Amino acid sequence: MDKTIKINLAGTLFNIEEDAYYMLRDYLQAINNRFHNIQGGNETIEDIESRISEIFQSQKITAGVISKPDVEAMIKILGKPEDFEVPGNQSNTVFTGPIKRRLYRNPDDSVFSGVCGGIGAYLNSDPVWIRIAFIIFSLFFGIGFFVYLALWIAIPNARSEYQKRELYGENYHRLNAAGIGTNISGGPGGAINEIFGAIGKFFYIVFRIIMIFFGVTFVALGFSALLVVFLAFFFKNPEFISMGSMNSNLFFMHDFLNFIVDPSISMWIIVLSFIALLLPLCAFVYWGIKMIFWFRVRDGVISLVLFITWVASLIALTVILVNAGVSFSKYGESTSQEILQNKRDTLFIMTGRKVEDLHTKKEFKIPENQYSMFISDPESRLCIRPRLRLSVTDEKTIKIEIRKKSMAVSRIDAVKKAESLIYDYRISRDTLYLDEYFTLSEGRKWSAEMIEVGLYIPEKTTLYFDNTCENLFPDRIRLNRVDKNMEYMSDIDNDTQPWQIGGRYWILSREGLVKASLLTEGKSTK
Amino acid sequence: MDLENTKAQMRKGILEYCILSILSRNSCYASDIIKELKEAKVIVVEGTLYPLLTRQKNSGLLSYRWEESQQGPPRKYYELTPDGRDYLKDLDNSWDELVESVNLIRKK
Repeated sequence: MDKTIKINLAGTLFNIEEDAYYMLRDYLQAINNRFHNIQGGNETIEDIESRISEIFQSQKITAGVISKPDVEAMIKILGKPEDFEVPGNQSNTVFTGPIKRRLYRNPDDSVFSGVCGGIGAYLNSDPVWIRIAFIIFSLFFGIGFFVYLALWIAIPNARSEYQKRELYGENYHRLNAAGIGTNISGGPGGAINEIFGAIGKFFYIVFRIIMIFFGVTFVALGFSALLVVFLAFFFKNPEFISMGSMNSNLFFMHDFLNFIVDPSISMWIIVLSFIALLLPLCAFVYWGIKMIFWFRVRDGVISLVLFITWVASLIALTVILVNAGVSFSKYGESTSQEILQNKRDTLFIMTGRKVEDLHTKKEFKIPENQYSMFISDPESRLCIRPRLRLSVTDEKTIKIEIRKKSMAVSRIDAVKKAESLIYDYRISRDTLYLDEYFTLSEGRKWSAEMIEVGLYIPEKTTLYFDNTCENLFPDRIRLNRVDKNMEYMSDIDNDTQPWQIGGRYWILSREGLVKASLLTEGKSTK
Repeated sequence: MDLENTKAQMRKGILEYCILSILSRNSCYASDIIKELKEAKVIVVEGTLYPLLTRQKNSGLLSYRWEESQQGPPRKYYELTPDGRDYLKDLDNSWDELVESVNLIRKK
């Protein structure tokens, strides 16, 4: 819908469409110019104005908004000022008063958008020189191009005769005599202008094709993103849609939020993030549609309102998250060590509590950090995979180190939180049982907790990994070398992948994990 | 010669007289005057009337009063002043003379 303007005509309010408004304004301006110099002219103008208001009131105006045909009908009844048959007044000039020059884009002399045509008309010069100037300046880092874009956005189009008069100034009459739309410049610019016209048309078509292409892309991308957002927020079952390309993280956001913040504000976070995602995506789709169909809509106000809503929701979201997120400010850790009284040279490693046994689909992964969380199903507890690291030492004994890490408002709190993390391992003779996950203690909120399990193993020790052990190394096998004081020396590169280690004997060396030969294997198993 | 132009010139001449004649019967507001003038095909566009009314008022032939109307803002009701009536009488006479003169010429 077109923008409507409220006007006051002789004490009565009317809503009028923009086009009709310009037409009416031109008309009133003409009447004004006709009578304002004549004695009693102002009274006449007022009388005519109240008659216009009367005519509008008598017209059956659709939807209460005066449109162009309504104004045309009114002018037909009242007549144009030059048609007024007033005895003793021979002056039939319509526009008389001096007029302020203003810059508009010129729709009557345009190659692309009328910017150059408008500047040319404004400066009383041939637009062809302006066009050439823009092209030349475009060669310098595209300055001309960007200036052109800025002007296109900033300068309004000359829609009405009155605006054209403001644009052309003195030359308006010359233009009228020649007929609007014909090339008034002639001269040297004529042929060049024609060439520019053809080039302009060509570029316009190319431009439209590009716009349509982008428009379709925008709509498609925006729409599929909207679909994902809607599915994520309203359907919590990821199996509902194919999981091939999609990350399940989104679907359990709400469940995990309850472990990060107070459940009372988690709803707010969801609503706000929904708005924060929805609005730009809608705008994206809308722009796409606009690009495809290339229509003009007076959407300034609603765009502004939506933009403010979006910014406000982002600010609110940030404030809420910052308020809840102060607990991430300080880092703390707690370390415990135990020496395995293992006289043998073979260590069996098995998994204790298993993620598999949680029977949960609610998994949340941050792949970059190799961080993965689960929510256990009946009792709804947050379970996180620890990281296992193997270190080759010069010591004679095997040592296990549990390093718990957390974050909180203060260091002390962080350390306390870290200590409260629940992780179990068990040593039984020469077997080490490691849990696949650790949990937060009751009532604690999540704040990026992690447990690093370090196994310090003498060189040449034989290791046997249980079939489920690959779960202890979610991404890769971390292997390094430490010196006597357990200080880090270097990483060991190894080609062994986690899925290869289960059910086999390995010998730990400075070069990495080496598959034990069949002979050794036989000897060790007995 | 432009026929339309000549017709317009003729209408211009009698327009003032017609307005005064309409107002001699009773006071009217602009739209009433327009209606009569249009019926009589004396004016083509309404805009012609307003400057004339103002001018006649300024030369003391007409006066107006404001009257409330049911729909919309108050209206100007025009009426003849005593000067206006005298003026109209003179015009009546000269119109009769004019018609006689024209007829005399046409019927020869």
